[in-house]
Amino acid sequence: MSDEPATAAETGEETPADVPGVFTLYGNELKTLIATAIVLALFPFVFARMPVVSDVLQGYQSLTTLILIWGIFALGFDLLLGYTGLLSFGHAAFWGSAAYGAGVFSQHVTGSPVLMVVAGTLVAVLLAWVLGFLSLRRGGIYFAILTLAFAQMLFYMASSPLAFITDGENGFTGVETAELFGMIPLEEDLPSILGELLGTTLYAFVAVLTLLCIALAYRILQSPYGMVFRAIRENEQRAKFVGLNVWRYKLMSFVLSGLFAGIAGSLFTIHGSYVPLSSLYWTESGEVVIMTVLGGTGSLFGPIIGAGLYLYVENIVSGFDTVGPFWHLILGLVFVITIWTFPRGIWGFFQDVRDYITGGDDQ
Amino acid sequence: MSLLEVDSIDAYYGESHILRDLSLTVEEGEICALLGRNGAGKTTTLRSISGAKPPTVEEGTVQFKGDDITGMHADDVAMQGISLVPEERRVFANLTVAENLEIADVSRNASNTWRRRLTSTGQSMSTDQVYDDFPRLRERKTQIAGTLSGGEQQMLAIARALKQSTDLLLLDEPYEGLAPQIVDDVESAIERINDQGVTILLVEQNAAAAINIADRAYVVDQGATVFRGSADELRADEQTREQYLGV
Repeated sequence: MSDEPATAAETGEETPADVPGVFTLYGNELKTLIATAIVLALFPFVFARMPVVSDVLQGYQSLTTLILIWGIFALGFDLLLGYTGLLSFGHAAFWGSAAYGAGVFSQHVTGSPVLMVVAGTLVAVLLAWVLGFLSLRRGGIYFAILTLAFAQMLFYMASSPLAFITDGENGFTGVETAELFGMIPLEEDLPSILGELLGTTLYAFVAVLTLLCIALAYRILQSPYGMVFRAIRENEQRAKFVGLNVWRYKLMSFVLSGLFAGIAGSLFTIHGSYVPLSSLYWTESGEVVIMTVLGGTGSLFGPIIGAGLYLYVENIVSGFDTVGPFWHLILGLVFVITIWTFPRGIWGFFQDVRDYITGGDDQ
Repeated sequence: MSLLEVDSIDAYYGESHILRDLSLTVEEGEICALLGRNGAGKTTTLRSISGAKPPTVEEGTVQFKGDDITGMHADDVAMQGISLVPEERRVFANLTVAENLEIADVSRNASNTWRRRLTSTGQSMSTDQVYDDFPRLRERKTQIAGTLSGGEQQMLAIARALKQSTDLLLLDEPYEGLAPQIVDDVESAIERINDQGVTILLVEQNAAAAINIADRAYVVDQGATVFRGSADELRADEQTREQYLGV
């Protein structure tokens, strides 16, 4: 960000500054994405199949997919909480509505996984636009409570008035996911080495979308939007003095986080072939807050790591004979200790360690 | 027509009545000082002009270049060509020096729906020009602004205001908390940008320093103007200085 584009203002005209194309790479973008791709490619093998390591971790394939799905959700949530400084307590609305959207779409239109994601995400984005428009009228705690209230309204709507679509308390069971691109079954293992590394096609599909989401978030954060989001987080009024239309930027941040929640929610439906009513419940909103804060707000990868740790405790530690029954307590302790010792979350801890070793401050 | 005309405004913070029938005008190209004791209503006056809420202006009008801007949103006012450099923490402490300057470009270059209508006619400086004016900022452009010294932060805030295509710069206590040596630096920076055609309304408690560079001065007390005149007249008016400024 050190090279400032010369502004057109010198000549007094208003021409658009150098607009970088879609394929122009920013900063460490390529490096970051390649490293991410490698980690995504090795993750299922290490976690679910590698000798010794996977035995110790007791990992299994379908949890890796679930971790990435929640990771996308938390990543989008962090755009709003970590970068723009807005705490929403109703993001289950976007996760859940996308999940239902994708499910209902698969039953009535087509079960193509790609189109299911598009449909579910569209529902979430439109909803985020409306709820953001209404909730962002107030700031701070009032904003949090408004989002919570709207999400609970949706939960109620899905539980009875709209039960003819959603099946109410039973959850939506009519999900009919078809093969990817009409020919590759999602639940089957990939052939040969790919199968050994990635496992199922579903994982590969989710991993590709995760990589795209990370790339998109990286772009957003490197763009002027990212800078404005951080400025708003620091001081909304000062941002107004600079002439920025703060409200619009906040709405855009809200809609963008709804977009990520929508992608994640749609994938959740594909992953589970079922939409539980609880996907709209306020506890889901709480979980994504905890994952994001645990992993580290204001970072690209922290929330994904937070999602991983949360789900690991919820799904695997809870099965241990000894401490299993106390998994909620363990999760609480992990959260409290992390926040006490590393206010910037697990990712902040990683950064501190790296800075300590290298003495550098490079990303 | 004066550049800025504040015509007998009454401003309130909730129930409390802060400005009472306050009027002032700022002429194009001048440095105008707004002086007074702590709590006299100086900052409230600047906030009323710049559209910050609170306070609410319930009576009177604020006119800028002949347009009524009373009650306009702060971001709208900024796009008319009025920049406010607020007191105390004036920069985005978590952004780098370069980003603090760049953000002014973002608001200028944003498409019409993303920013308020840009009606300012003031010159907007390029980043290079700004760095030429404030060489120390160029040296520190990748540094996080919160780690700059107080004087450097003040320079950065002024530099950013200049990039916003400013006709009128509102400076709230620019010398507050600065060492005397640094006050001189800031003072010469203010005079330099004034020479480039930017009109300045300067609020200060440090009356002596402000009179030094001001063409004209207003003194406010209890939310009303009690003196208006040239800087020389204020220097000669011992009674006003003693009664309202304590110098």
